[in-house]
Amino acid sequence: MMMLERYAYANRWRRVSPAAKGLFALCGLTAVFAAGSPRVACCLAAVLAAVTLAGTGVSLKNYLRVAAPALGFLATSAATLLFSLRLDGPAGPALHLVPSELPQVAFACTRSLGGLTAMLFLALTTPMNDIVALLRRLKTPETLLDIMTLCYRTIFVFSEAVHDMRTAQAARLGYATPGRALRSLGALAANLTLQVWQRSQSLHQAALARNNDGPLRFLEPEYPRARASLATAALSGASLIALAMVST
Amino acid sequence: MKQDSGEIVLEVRDVGFRYPDGSVGLDRCSLALRRGSRTVVLGPNGAGKTTLFLHCNGLLRPGGGQVLFEGLPLDYGRRGLRELRSRVGLVFQNPDSQLFSATVREDVSFGPVNLGLERQAVRERVEEALESVGMTECADKPVHNLSYGQKKRVCIAGVLAMRPRVMILDEPTAGLDLRMQHELMEVLQRLHAEGMTILMATHDLDLAYAWADEACLIDNGRVVGKFSADEFPHKAGMLERHGLAVPQVARLYPLLVARGVFPPGAPAPRSCAELARMLEPDELAGALCR
Repeated sequence: MMMLERYAYANRWRRVSPAAKGLFALCGLTAVFAAGSPRVACCLAAVLAAVTLAGTGVSLKNYLRVAAPALGFLATSAATLLFSLRLDGPAGPALHLVPSELPQVAFACTRSLGGLTAMLFLALTTPMNDIVALLRRLKTPETLLDIMTLCYRTIFVFSEAVHDMRTAQAARLGYATPGRALRSLGALAANLTLQVWQRSQSLHQAALARNNDGPLRFLEPEYPRARASLATAALSGASLIALAMVST
Repeated sequence: MKQDSGEIVLEVRDVGFRYPDGSVGLDRCSLALRRGSRTVVLGPNGAGKTTLFLHCNGLLRPGGGQVLFEGLPLDYGRRGLRELRSRVGLVFQNPDSQLFSATVREDVSFGPVNLGLERQAVRERVEEALESVGMTECADKPVHNLSYGQKKRVCIAGVLAMRPRVMILDEPTAGLDLRMQHELMEVLQRLHAEGMTILMATHDLDLAYAWADEACLIDNGRVVGKFSADEFPHKAGMLERHGLAVPQVARLYPLLVARGVFPPGAPAPRSCAELARMLEPDELAGALCR
């Protein structure tokens, strides 16, 4: 999460219009789902990953580290699709491979992989505030955007609070035994709930103090050569889709 | 912009307030701020300082008494509060309670955008406010990557961008190291020089004595003392009765006068640094500065 965040704020394409990056990611997603075979979907995933690496300046190692949780999830899903549990086997319940499912699983997995690379392209090049601003221009409901803004900000506030509380508990042997660890974890959750409540009250007061009485609105950043970026994104995105359509 | 220094800009008159759990927030609390003044609010924890500030910004409504801005009782209607909050800015103690946007520039723009200003006007105010607090270089940084002191400065910029006439700060130096404290006080010094009326709560008596024109002591929700900051040395008894100490320099200077180091009747120094300068080139200067 923090690595994603770091690259989003400090990558080569940070100052490129979010609309252009969003359009390219969307085209990437569309192309992946339009792909006629796992091989094409796989190629598209490779292209999207290569574009991301080139555009952001992220090393391949760090790219894989960022993608690892999602890749793990994808691998688990693929395994559950590929293997089935047989209860009536001669040696009792056992997992066995279902070869007939293989083409479908391969297709689903390569498409998901392509989708993941398209989303990673957006996440690694565009900070959350730019994405929220883009969604606002796309007329996303204000309530949803407010929730996104507040959640994003509070993730960092509360991760710090959790870290501090956990350290304080550990310093007083709160995690010395499994039993104590469980109790400490419960206390931490209870305390955090209370803090969330108090913090939400404070944020509400702070918003009112700065004359807020509706949606949370901010100054939207401006990007140089936004139209040119958008045209480039549209062209390259359309090429991806065309590639997916013509290849089999 | 020189203004009439005798004019009362914000007044809290006999205000009483009880929290929903029945605890007393304020008890016939009265305070008047002169335009362009620097006032410190002193008092132990739980004395009612924050409650008082929330009343000044219209976030809490008095159970009794009234709050007046520029001689008129506050209008708690939507338009009235909007007007008040653009004139009286409040900087909260914990910056994480105030900052809720992802980046510095966005957060500072929050107030001006809420005022309904045009995009260009918002942009100008944001840049000006960031410049005032020396945070222009951090404008595009995410808020969570800032230091505590930087977050405090962004909070001040967020309020400054609304161009208030009165700025209220709830313990702005709490949790800051010495250098950050100095930087913050320089910002406040600059704002005061530009004509801003500043009300600040602090537990740092040395800072209060060095900075303020006027002091207000509050305890159990009631103002128990109001005096000019020059009178700090004579308020030892009152301060100690309410769990506060006398500023170091105010304790030391009379002793030096009694020992004949300084002549009686000369203007008293407001800080150890000032006292050290008066003693120069005496060797005591270095020791006192430490």
